[in-house]
Amino acid sequence: MSLEEQKQVPENWEPTILAFCCNWCTYAGADLAGLNRMKYPENVRILRVPCSSRVNPQFILRAFQKGVDGVLVAGCHPGDCHYVSGNYFTRRRFLLMQRFLEYNGIDPRRFQARWISGAEAGKFRDTMLQLCEEIKELGPNRKLREVK
Amino acid sequence: MSQMQEELRQKAKELLEKGEVRYIIGWGKGRFHHRPPIFIYQAEDVDKLVWDEYCVANLGKYLLDDKFPEGKIGICVRGCDSRAVVRLVQDKQVKREDVCLIGLPCTGKVDQEGRELVKCRDCMHRNPPVYDIVLGEPVEEKGNPDRFKRVEELEKLSSDEKYEYWSNVFDKCIRCYACRNVCPACNCRECFVDQYRVGWQGKQKNCMQNQIFGLTRAYHIADRCIECGECERVCPVGLPLMELNRKLIKDLNSLFGPYEAGVNPDVKPPLGEYRLEDPEEYM
Ligand code: SF4
Ligand code: SF4
Repeated sequence: MSLEEQKQVPENWEPTILAFCCNWCTYAGADLAGLNRMKYPENVRILRVPCSSRVNPQFILRAFQKGVDGVLVAGCHPGDCHYVSGNYFTRRRFLLMQRFLEYNGIDPRRFQARWISGAEAGKFRDTMLQLCEEIKELGPNRKLREVK
Repeated sequence: MSQMQEELRQKAKELLEKGEVRYIIGWGKGRFHHRPPIFIYQAEDVDKLVWDEYCVANLGKYLLDDKFPEGKIGICVRGCDSRAVVRLVQDKQVKREDVCLIGLPCTGKVDQEGRELVKCRDCMHRNPPVYDIVLGEPVEEKGNPDRFKRVEELEKLSSDEKYEYWSNVFDKCIRCYACRNVCPACNCRECFVDQYRVGWQGKQKNCMQNQIFGLTRAYHIADRCIECGECERVCPVGLPLMELNRKLIKDLNSLFGPYEAGVNPDVKPPLGEYRLEDPEEYM
């Protein structure tokens, strides 16, 4: 498929966004957003992980391969990790991974990371809204994707 | 060269006769210009050892075939082999006390047409940084001012141009996994591409799967790559794999401070540790 064909946006297209949320902070934040009846786009699929550092960079490649349009990794703020230091490793790992994906032609907006605590329901909603908007602007991702 | 070869044979003989090592890994004479790795067990065989401008292969990886040796292994090391061994020791694949490193300062190797190899042109450590014995005189380090030049050129392209460039590259990959097999940084007991049941890597040979392989291979060894250039040398379709490895090395250096894998055994790989004051972009 040529790059031009790849750019075409099908009618009624809605992005699929995968959010890896750490059990101890971001997932609780999402929960709180729900309890407070906050609205965020239903394009986001939440996947709970024990810690943001559980996310193997290969999960991200895999997600793109299987047809996801954007990926978010979210965890506790530095210093707040339930396992003391997990998110510091996350930070190093994904700072590098983002640059590497960009080097390989994946728009950096498609793979992002954020610190969202259990009390930051508002930040959770805002992040999801912003992410969804950016991905909608970018259109469907066909890079690294195995299915059409 | 031939004098160094004589010295090497002498030293090997001495080590084997004294029983200081059980065997020695070095280069032997193959057909034409090939210098395949050889394993010398007997003192009378030391004349099979060769040291000349065709000794190309990185020997470090061969240590993985004998992880629990009875007695020490002697191994000939140039700069790149020495760094490979340091990496393996840091990964706890090899015990430092199990190996005796015979250092050989190196002035670069050539292919059968006599042209200097790309990996030697780009080499920054011609003298082994770590060794037990060293033969000959140290040679002058020439550095590599163009180390990241190609990476910087590629960084300037737009997203789509980059993607097109890399898809064209990986379209050619035949997934022989030679780059992984030769790499001294690739030392997982079971590689992700072989974990059929987990299914990290699809078996199909298409551009996407090749890309998944290529990206994972490079990223997985980001902070371990010693820039020996073996992957690029052995790739049968000549893919520019160092352009991927060097991008990661460049970013590691700019994000987390200067680092060269396998040069100093006491410096930990950057992805295996962290600092509180690392760059923060995720607030
Ligand atoms: S990735 Fe290539 S250059 Fe780096 S250590 Fe492995 S074989 Fe050597
Ligand atoms: S050596 Fe080259 S062709 Fe073989 S798997 Fe590696 S990149 Fe692909």
